[in-house]
Amino acid sequence: MDMNEIKEIFFQECEEQLAELESGLLRLNDGDRDPETVNAVFRAVHSIKGGAGAFGLDDLVSFAHVFETTLDCVRSNRLEPNQDVLKVMLKSADVLADLTNAARDGGSVDEARSRQLIKELEALANGELPQPAVSEPAAKPAPPAAPVAAPAPAPVVNEEGFQPVVFSFDDFEASEPPAIEPSTFEILFRPKSELYAKGNDATLLLRDLSRLGEMSIHCDMDELPALGSMNPEAAYFAWKISLKTDKGEEAIRSVFEFAEWDCELDVALAGGDHTGTGEEPPMQPVPFDLSLLDDDVPASSGAAEDEEQVVAQREARDDAVSAAATASNVLQMAQTARASAESNRSAAPTSSAAQAAAQQAASAATPTIRVDLDRVDRLINLVGELVINQAMLSQSVIENDTNGTSSINMGLEELQQLTREIQDSVMAIRAQPVKPVFQRMSRIVREIADMTGKSVRLVTEGENTEVDKTVIDKLAEPLTHMIRNAVDHGLETPEKRVAAGKNPEGTVRLTAKHRSGRIVIELADDGAGINREKVRQKAIDNDLIAADANLSDEEIDNLIFHAGFSTADKISDISGRGVGMDVVKRSIQALGGRINISSKPGQGSVFTMSLPLTLAVLDGMVVTVANQTLVVPLTAIVETLQPEASAIHSFGASQRLISIRNSFCPLVDVGRILNFRAIQANPVDGVALLVESEGGGQRALMVDAIQGQRQVVIKSLEANYTHVPGIAAATILGDGRVALILDVDAIVAASRGQTLKPEMSLAAAG
Amino acid sequence: MASKNTAKKSLKLAPVLDLNEATALHERLLSLKGSPVAIDASAVERIGTLCAQVLMAGARSWEEDRVSFTFAKVSDAFVKTTQLIGVDIAPLMAKEI
Repeated sequence: MDMNEIKEIFFQECEEQLAELESGLLRLNDGDRDPETVNAVFRAVHSIKGGAGAFGLDDLVSFAHVFETTLDCVRSNRLEPNQDVLKVMLKSADVLADLTNAARDGGSVDEARSRQLIKELEALANGELPQPAVSEPAAKPAPPAAPVAAPAPAPVVNEEGFQPVVFSFDDFEASEPPAIEPSTFEILFRPKSELYAKGNDATLLLRDLSRLGEMSIHCDMDELPALGSMNPEAAYFAWKISLKTDKGEEAIRSVFEFAEWDCELDVALAGGDHTGTGEEPPMQPVPFDLSLLDDDVPASSGAAEDEEQVVAQREARDDAVSAAATASNVLQMAQTARASAESNRSAAPTSSAAQAAAQQAASAATPTIRVDLDRVDRLINLVGELVINQAMLSQSVIENDTNGTSSINMGLEELQQLTREIQDSVMAIRAQPVKPVFQRMSRIVREIADMTGKSVRLVTEGENTEVDKTVIDKLAEPLTHMIRNAVDHGLETPEKRVAAGKNPEGTVRLTAKHRSGRIVIELADDGAGINREKVRQKAIDNDLIAADANLSDEEIDNLIFHAGFSTADKISDISGRGVGMDVVKRSIQALGGRINISSKPGQGSVFTMSLPLTLAVLDGMVVTVANQTLVVPLTAIVETLQPEASAIHSFGASQRLISIRNSFCPLVDVGRILNFRAIQANPVDGVALLVESEGGGQRALMVDAIQGQRQVVIKSLEANYTHVPGIAAATILGDGRVALILDVDAIVAASRGQTLKPEMSLAAAG
Repeated sequence: MASKNTAKKSLKLAPVLDLNEATALHERLLSLKGSPVAIDASAVERIGTLCAQVLMAGARSWEEDRVSFTFAKVSDAFVKTTQLIGVDIAPLMAKEI
């Protein structure tokens, strides 16, 4: 591993630390006063500083150092983390992020800003409170510090930019579980045969257990049958163990971590004195020095040769046994490693042991590895090919196998199930919580709020909702646009809000949740809502709609997604260049998503984005239209029905409606819209797919026949061919042919384009 | 004692008596059934629970048959492991008289 790779890891860790830092500061901002939160924030900055120092990133080090010093004041209760203090700290976190990015990508940093913040941070550390609502509080010479709070603070930074920092582990230790008094546990351990079948051995577990303290044991052999009738691989022994340890119950249970499903285990504090009362079974003390049994590695390597001889002597063993041997060796290695790690840890000095334990506790919860995204993508591609191949194989077997040999069919079915499982698991690798994107938004809100002089609070919900990495990556840009719009256009100024009887602080709420196989992200503000009159007038001025067009509120609201539409009277730095919402809509659509707006005057607007969880596969309904095979995304389909002649009604020149449960729904012939045929097909001969369009309205899409439902692998048309209107992507079917995946919203929009004209002509005629 | 008529047989245990060894040990022990047996555990470096179970089941069956079953020689590792798992082999140790 060369230096650059290590550096890259450092920057990756920085990202995590920065996220930790920001979320910690936000928690403090919300009134959290848990010392562990302050510690976490402090640790984040401290680790960045440490790593940066190792790589000679001086800018980063000196800023992190000042930041850390101020945080230390908070940590030692010399500085109360009130809103004003946290405002400075959040800004500092932003600058720290900028400095980190600059150090990685070589970009430049707003030096004036970072110098300014260093001053502010130093002022805080020196016990000067920031002056609220003044733009440059620290620019003024600091008044002599009131000698009440901080006892004569030393100059924060010396010539080299460093000062001795009193670094104590008290806080870390305090957060550690307090040293547990040795207590005696009674453990009942009854392995099941599965435990051995999986290559585990009770002996090893008992050995690990004995390391926790003083142990005495009674082996219960009541179940042991006679030699002739026993199954040598079944479990008969059970144990009653008395263990005096200061490690606690958790440590005991962790010994049985790998085996908990394969044994009966009962761990309880012994009542009173454990040393056998009359009825207790005789306990045999376990010798303290078991070091002989530790030499697994040399023993097994030496044993390997011996074992070969033994193998030569006796009958050949079957393969299953050797597989089990490997499993048992691996497990033993794992256990030995764990045991030695434990003994090393106990040998280390207490303070670092405590720290290591804290770190281990933090990381042990979910062990992770870093994998190049490229590798995952390659795997996903390959799995995609596997799915296609498997479908092709199934199809050719079905075509050629007239006898319907059941074993082949069963094998194929199993294969299909396996491929599906593999695919799901691979997709799960890519799934990531939306948290990082949401966290980035809080910075955007802060900055825009500063620039516009508005007071804004960002509330996020469902940050742990998981979605494919590609979706997350592409989500940041449209979300940024929308947040800017929400703060700049959506929320009123504090004065106007007060006048309207609202809290002067506006709220922007960002929510993520899963709904029917998609992720739904909502962005709500409690601002003034969309000024429909203004939007309508603007649309008429820009020739987007006819002056007398009769539009529903929803349609007016959706006008803001039109290209070149901006209602801001004056173009600001933040938003209002007219490249706002149409770009947002396009990027959401490019992700296979939909965006919706609903707005209530005076109460605010809600933007709802619904996105697919993954961009790699899709559950689709395979249909035939004019001899072409098409795939309709299953998520869009509400229901399918066979239209009856009586339910079809003509409307205008060429439009038809279908009546479904007392309501009318426009009937759209997919073959006609896509120009597969010149005249509309007879609806009675086909099948209608009731789909929900982005505006919430329903349309009945006419297709000739339904072939079935299938999970298809999405192949981008744009990447492989070129964009085709009405088509979202393509896929390869089992027979090797390419099938197009319908873009339902585009089809509905195209059909609306057709219906809009007759409507307008009707209105004009009437 | 019933052991009078039959010659005492010795069974040398393999160094590693792990999970895979249990079946083989079981078979070897079964084949000795009825004869007095002296187990040589001097080479044992590692013994797992399954093999310990087989040995103890053997000891019981031999006892039921009233035939002698002893551990003639034992290694340190063997003793320590039996202590660890709470199997008392002291009564089965060959007594030097």
